[in-house]
Amino acid sequence: MPPAIQIDQINKSFLSGRTTNYALNNLSLIIQKGEVFGFLGPNGAGKSTTIKLLLHFLRPDSGTMQIMGNTIGRDEFRHQIGYLSEFPCFYDHLSATETLMLAGRLSGMSKNTLHIRIPELLARMGLSDAANRRVGGFSKGMKQRLGMANALIHNPQILIFDEPMSGLDPIGRHLIKDIILELKKLGKTIFFSSHILSDIQALCDRIGIIHKGKLLYDGKLADFIQNDHLEDRFVAMIEENDRAAISH
Amino acid sequence: MQQSLINIWVLALSTMIEGMRHKALWAIVVFAIIISMTNIFVTNLFSYDLGKVSIEFGLSSVALTGLLLVFFLGMKILADDLEHNRIYMLISRPVSVGQYITGKFFGLGLILLIGTTIIGLGSTLSMKYVLFRYAPFVPPDFSWTTYVMALSCQWMSLLVVLAVSFLCFCFAKQPFVALLLAVSSYLVGQNLELLRRVINENPYTGALAGQEKLVFALSWIFPNLSYFDKKSVAAYGLLFSGQEFLFLCLYCISYCALMLYLATLLFNRKELA
Repeated sequence: MPPAIQIDQINKSFLSGRTTNYALNNLSLIIQKGEVFGFLGPNGAGKSTTIKLLLHFLRPDSGTMQIMGNTIGRDEFRHQIGYLSEFPCFYDHLSATETLMLAGRLSGMSKNTLHIRIPELLARMGLSDAANRRVGGFSKGMKQRLGMANALIHNPQILIFDEPMSGLDPIGRHLIKDIILELKKLGKTIFFSSHILSDIQALCDRIGIIHKGKLLYDGKLADFIQNDHLEDRFVAMIEENDRAAISH
Repeated sequence: MQQSLINIWVLALSTMIEGMRHKALWAIVVFAIIISMTNIFVTNLFSYDLGKVSIEFGLSSVALTGLLLVFFLGMKILADDLEHNRIYMLISRPVSVGQYITGKFFGLGLILLIGTTIIGLGSTLSMKYVLFRYAPFVPPDFSWTTYVMALSCQWMSLLVVLAVSFLCFCFAKQPFVALLLAVSSYLVGQNLELLRRVINENPYTGALAGQEKLVFALSWIFPNLSYFDKKSVAAYGLLFSGQEFLFLCLYCISYCALMLYLATLLFNRKELA
């Protein structure tokens, strides 16, 4: 059985004027079905670039990626994934219900199924009262919760979340955490990036640590922590890597 | 219905709803209705051919406001999709770039149709008033059928400009550059036929003398928008055959299809960072 996500020796660079910035350097990862994988790294480490490559928004310079055995860029795989971006943006003049209807219809769902699914999801996200309000008037937290509903509308097997807790108040964070735990119980594969380490610690089976486009660690969370605090271990690893880079 | 057709329809419908609720649309429509109403006062400034002036003015107001809709509403909706990363919400689903572009085009095309109908209705009412009040000045062969056909040509011309805007949008990195390219293409398309005639019929065209082949080539690249300009035909009650109308419909469909195909090819190469 193929892994849920397989990233094999991916390199990605961006041209900025005459300089080339290397965003990812030989990145390889395997995420098995049913795993909750936390992707950690400081700002600009390459987390969002990896996610955009997985969704085929960007194309790699070299290397291959597969989702459920489907090669990204060659096979259709998107019906199997749900995506929540760091800053979810929707059509300002559509209501929450219309937004989810659009997402569901594009994922191949029928109108009848959506008429049942949308109120359920909005209720789960605490957005029932805002179902017919235009999204343009939503707060950041409400948009984030609508983004989560948008990712879950078609009940995908793999969920890719880019900073899902970003901009949420404690209640909102608690809600999203609960939902991720529910999805984990349902056997969904979850790949999410975050730099809120307490969330990673509470939710993940395995973690990957990326810094300046290089994968520094990939393995079980418990093996990484070793009775220490995740934050201390994480900071120590990044600083050690920076010192090694300077000494070279 | 096939999923690809559902995707196009759903995208078109949501684009249309988004556009219809946009303040910019209604600001442009109110502006258009005000312009249409000034038809009554402008026509009064003339002492002859009042009917022709009124008809030309009415159709011109539709053309002007239609262009405002394309450049300031249509291109804004497209630019917002990319700048605000709204496109992520759409193409993280099984939607191809071709379906996305076609859906957006149809949605904006429907907005243009509704806009043209509302503005056309405003112009028609003001024209009706002028033609009723100055009955002796009604052009002898004036026909409302020709007027409606001219109005339809105006809409088709806007569709062609919209399709060119899509191509410019996929070609340029910045929305502002895309807007400049689209406006320039419109100006070239509007005046190309005149340039072609000047060069072909006048041997003393200065620097352009002997450039017939270049202008001929350009006339195949840029849309020949003057074909769709039937203001004079409607105003003077000239013959506008069904065959010519059908030819214009085919020209509009084929040109738009070509532009959208090229836009899809270019967009497929674009990275959505």
